[in-house]
Amino acid sequence: MLKHLYDTDCVTWSPQGKLFQVDYAMEAVKQGSICLGLKSNDFVVLCSLKRQPSELAGYQEKQFKIDDHMAIAIAGLTADARVLCKYMRTECLEYKYTYESHHPVGRLVFKVAEKSQHKTQSGAKRPYGVGLLVAGIDPNGVHLFETCPSGNYYEYKCQAIGSRSQAARTYFESWFHLFEKSTLEQLILHGLSALKKAIMEDEELNEKNVEVGILGKNQKFIHLNAQELKDYIVKLETFNANTQIQQE
Amino acid sequence: MIFNSEISGQQQHTTSPVVTGGSVIALVYNGGVIVGTDTLCSYGSMATFKNVQKIAQISKNTIYASSGEFSDFQQVVKELAKIDRSALQYDDGVHPSPKDYGNFLARLSYKKRCKINPLYLQNVIAGFHNGERYLGLVDIYGTYLESNFITTGFASYFCKAIIANYWNENCTLDQAKQVIRECFKVLFCRDCRAHDVIQLAYVDAQGAHIEEPERVETKWDFNGFKSRANEKLHTQ
Repeated sequence: MLKHLYDTDCVTWSPQGKLFQVDYAMEAVKQGSICLGLKSNDFVVLCSLKRQPSELAGYQEKQFKIDDHMAIAIAGLTADARVLCKYMRTECLEYKYTYESHHPVGRLVFKVAEKSQHKTQSGAKRPYGVGLLVAGIDPNGVHLFETCPSGNYYEYKCQAIGSRSQAARTYFESWFHLFEKSTLEQLILHGLSALKKAIMEDEELNEKNVEVGILGKNQKFIHLNAQELKDYIVKLETFNANTQIQQE
Repeated sequence: MIFNSEISGQQQHTTSPVVTGGSVIALVYNGGVIVGTDTLCSYGSMATFKNVQKIAQISKNTIYASSGEFSDFQQVVKELAKIDRSALQYDDGVHPSPKDYGNFLARLSYKKRCKINPLYLQNVIAGFHNGERYLGLVDIYGTYLESNFITTGFASYFCKAIIANYWNENCTLDQAKQVIRECFKVLFCRDCRAHDVIQLAYVDAQGAHIEEPERVETKWDFNGFKSRANEKLHTQ
């Protein structure tokens, strides 16, 4: 990236109306490994590719449960993600303590966005370097949100963020019209297919580097275990989105 | 008069109520929940304010009534209305359910009890949400209970037998109203701080309805009063 004159801190606009520090923070998200989410009428599925810093190390987890009805997938600085994760978990706990019911999803995303925006309007602070995909269920239905370091948030039917996420988004653009009525199994296979588009040629999906989390109207957030992941990756070989159209 | 708090800045604690409201009776019926109170606020033993509405509508499908210190009732109404209004700032159309209000009030009451400065109230929250009836009681200590019928104050002593014999959870609205009217008739006769004008309010699928106050039926034309039998004894 070219060095710009107006990028020293968040409190300086560029003449083109950009806050470069915020843009640079968004770049940090794009450097993180891919995570994606997609939803049907009853379920939300989060799929992520876990990175292994070295052969000796474990794989970095990318999905975190916030409450029974809510979970996040992260892309970007893991340390910043941990701060936001803790904040969200605390908010959910406090809401449950006071009202004995689940924190509405959109409202928590709004709070995270407000917190993120605050960091973009201060001299001594820097934006959070992490993007979240927030999956949640509340009385308004099934939700998938994306949050940005800029403090913006959007609701999606399906979305992918992180490195090489455009490939996954292209897959989504072709097939998202099927997701609404998909079964859970079809939804997971669509997610894994999109993930497969985004990996490098010499990489392959296996139960160690893939993380899949599911959340449903009657399903608390859970991760698929290693055996289930293996089974799905095998099913992926024969999965064809075209067959789903023929069924309907 | 100089109060202690002005000299030393000490926190005052509510030790006894000043202006009080009487019993609240609430029942569940087949289409919703109904709450009844009288319209009296007493100043000790004096029946000072005789036309008071003691049932408040908190949100579209929740109503709230309480017995005890009336200024605390007014304060709680403000606190609960605050929650409903602050839901607007999130633009998500999600409003607290009746149960959310009940739990919030329980947490608030418990907090104040822990500071030995309670909201001097027995609270009743009634509502209808997602096709389900809700009726909750929060007492002065912050105890939280959900039930099919709730009585506070003297009604807990006099009216439970009437409710047990004439009400069931699937009765009609009119049947439930009659039971409550009968209860307040008895209360007017036996509770010194009760009044014969009552007000009923119910919540059903269409929302909250608070009715106009009505006078309970009372009977005073007993022969004993007419023929003044006792007086004769005394003039002999």
